[in-house]
Amino acid sequence: MIEEVFNVNLPVNETLTLRRNRFSPEDISTSTKRISIVTGIHGDEIEGQYVCYLLAKWLNANQHCIKGIVDIYPSMNPMGIDSITRGFPFYDVDLNRNFPGNTADFLPAQVANAIVDTVRGSDFAIDIHASNIFLRELPQVRISRSTADELIPLAEKLDIEFIWVHDAVTVLESTFAHAMNSLGTKTLVVEMGVGMRITKEYGQSLTRGILNLLAHVGIIERAVLPMTKTTVSNLHSEVFFVNASKSGIFIPILEHNVTVLKGEKLGEIIDPLSGRIEETLISPCNGLLFTIREYPVVYEGSLLARILEDPKEDTAL
Amino acid sequence: MKEEVLFEISSLSRNPLKVKGFRFGREGTTPSCVIVGPMMGTAIDQLWIASQLVRFLRQHELANAAFVKGEILVIPTVNPYSFNMGKNFWPLDNTDIDVMFPGYDKGETTQRIASRLFEKTNNYDYAILLEARKDHVECIPYVEVLESGMSYIEDARAFGLDFIHVKEETPNDTVSLTYNWNVWNAKAFSLISGKKGILHKHEANKVFDAIVRFLVKKELIDFSTFEGSHGNLVMPNDVEAIKSSAAGLFDTLANIGDSVVHGQPLARIFNSLDGTLIQTIISPCDGIISCRYDYSLIFQNAIAYRIVKVESAQNNL
Repeated sequence: MIEEVFNVNLPVNETLTLRRNRFSPEDISTSTKRISIVTGIHGDEIEGQYVCYLLAKWLNANQHCIKGIVDIYPSMNPMGIDSITRGFPFYDVDLNRNFPGNTADFLPAQVANAIVDTVRGSDFAIDIHASNIFLRELPQVRISRSTADELIPLAEKLDIEFIWVHDAVTVLESTFAHAMNSLGTKTLVVEMGVGMRITKEYGQSLTRGILNLLAHVGIIERAVLPMTKTTVSNLHSEVFFVNASKSGIFIPILEHNVTVLKGEKLGEIIDPLSGRIEETLISPCNGLLFTIREYPVVYEGSLLARILEDPKEDTAL
Repeated sequence: MKEEVLFEISSLSRNPLKVKGFRFGREGTTPSCVIVGPMMGTAIDQLWIASQLVRFLRQHELANAAFVKGEILVIPTVNPYSFNMGKNFWPLDNTDIDVMFPGYDKGETTQRIASRLFEKTNNYDYAILLEARKDHVECIPYVEVLESGMSYIEDARAFGLDFIHVKEETPNDTVSLTYNWNVWNAKAFSLISGKKGILHKHEANKVFDAIVRFLVKKELIDFSTFEGSHGNLVMPNDVEAIKSSAAGLFDTLANIGDSVVHGQPLARIFNSLDGTLIQTIISPCDGIISCRYDYSLIFQNAIAYRIVKVESAQNNL
C-alpha cells in the first residue's frame, strides 16, 4: 500500500511528498517484525532505486510469503533526485548530516526529522547509497566499530561482497544510520556502484541478499541461501587508501574489482597540456581493489582507490 | 605587515589555490590573535570585513610601528576558488571545508586544506572566524560561542556586539574550525552576520568595528574606540523560531534588528498563482528580530523569523 509520510507545500503550486510502499500480512500484532528499506537520501545516488523496484516487484508477486512488515522508501530527497543533486536543493546541505533533524529548524532538518519519525519502531533498516559521482564501489556494508558486534551478524545475511568495520568519526553521528541505531533500530548502510548510474548486477545481487535477510529474521517465508561472499575487514585485514599527490587527469590502468599485488601500477595522473605523466599510482599492498575513481579530474588529495588487504596470517598460532 | 602565502593547492586547469595571510606585529609574541575569513564562497560580507581589517591594520602599522602589540594574523579567505565561481563550497565535490577540522594531511583535498589551515592557526591566544549563516537568512551580527567555550563569555563581551549566542554543540560542530581551536586552548569565537551573496556594508562594518574593539580591549592594538554593547547572553531557549504555515510569495514587513511586540504583523504570504493573501505571520512574543528568511519565495513550515525574547535576554544579564 502506497502511503504519504510527509508533506510540505512548496511556494509555487507543488507539494513535496515523501512516500513509502508498505507490504504487510493480513494479521499484524505487536510481535510482527518490521523492516524499512530507505534510499535516495543523496539525490545523485540512484542504485537504490533499482533495488526498491526489484524488491517491490518480488513482494507484489509473493504476497503469500509476507509474514512481517516491509516498508520501502525509495526517494527521501525527491528534489535532489530530480536535479541530480547530492544535497537538498535550495539549502545546499547534505541531508545525511542533519539527522535526527528538528521540527524547529530549516526544511532539510524537518525532512530528516520526518524520516526518523516514520522509520522509528522498525526492528531493522537498510539505508542504500550508491557511491558519489567520483568513485565506483564494490557492494559493501559499512558499520562503525561501536555497533559491529550487533550488526555484523545481520550484515552477513546480505551475502554481500564485504563488510567494512570502520572507526566512526563524529560527523557520522548526524547520519540516518546513527540516528536509527541510537533509537534501537538495527540499521545497515550499503554502498555500491557509482553516482548517477544503476549497476543492474549489483542491484539484483543486493535484492537477493535483502530477501535472504528477510527470510532469516522471519519477515518473509523463503528458503535461506547459502553464504558465498562476505569478507569482514578490520578483523584480519586493513583498508588502504590511495590519494592523489598531484592535480591532473586520472587514467586508471586496472579494472574495478580485481586482485592487485603490492607495487603493481594502478593508474597514472597525466597533464594534457604538457603531455607529461605527473604521478604513477602504485598499490601499497596485496588485496582487492574495491574502490576506483570514476571521475577523472583530480586535485591533490582526491581519493583514487581503496584496497582491501589480503587477510593477514594469524601470527599467534 | 608581512604578506605570506600560507599554503597552496595546485589545479589542472586553474591558477594554484593560494591561501594568503597578512601578519602584523611580531611573529611568536603575545598576546596573539588569528582572524580567518570565510570558507564559503558566497560570504561576501565576511570577505569585506577581513579585507578592510587588513587595510586598517596596514595603514596604522605604517604610521606607527608600535601600533600592533603582540601578533595578529588575518587570513581573508580560505576558498578563493569558490568566490570566483559564486559557489558556496569546494568547487569539485561541493564539500564544506568547515566540516573537515582538524583536517588530515594525507586525506582528501578539503581535509588537506583544513589540515594546513589548522596547522597555521592553532597556536594563537584568540581565534576569530568570520561566518555567514548556512541557511537562507539575514541576521544581525552576533558572537557565537560553543557550549564548550562558556568559560570565556566575558571575553566575548569585548566585541561589544548586542548578542552573544551560546550554541548547543551537535556532532557536526566537533569538526568545525572554532571547536577545534577550542580543543587546542585558543579562545575561539565565530562572528556571524549578513546575508550570503551580497555586501551589506552597514552590518559588515559593525562586525569590523567589533573586531577592532576586541583587539583594543585585549591590548593587541594601540587605538581608541567607542564602547560597544554589554552583550546580551542568548541561550538556545531564548530564541523563538517563527515558522510559516503557508507557502508562496513572502512579503516581509519587519526587518532584522526591529523591536517587535506580541501580536505585531511580521510578514504576509500570498498565493503565488492567484495573489490571495493566505497568511499573515504574527509575532508571538516581544523581542528583537535576530534573523529573517531572505528569499521572496517561502516553503510551508520554513523558519521565517527568529526573535530573541525580551524577558529571556533580561534574565541572562
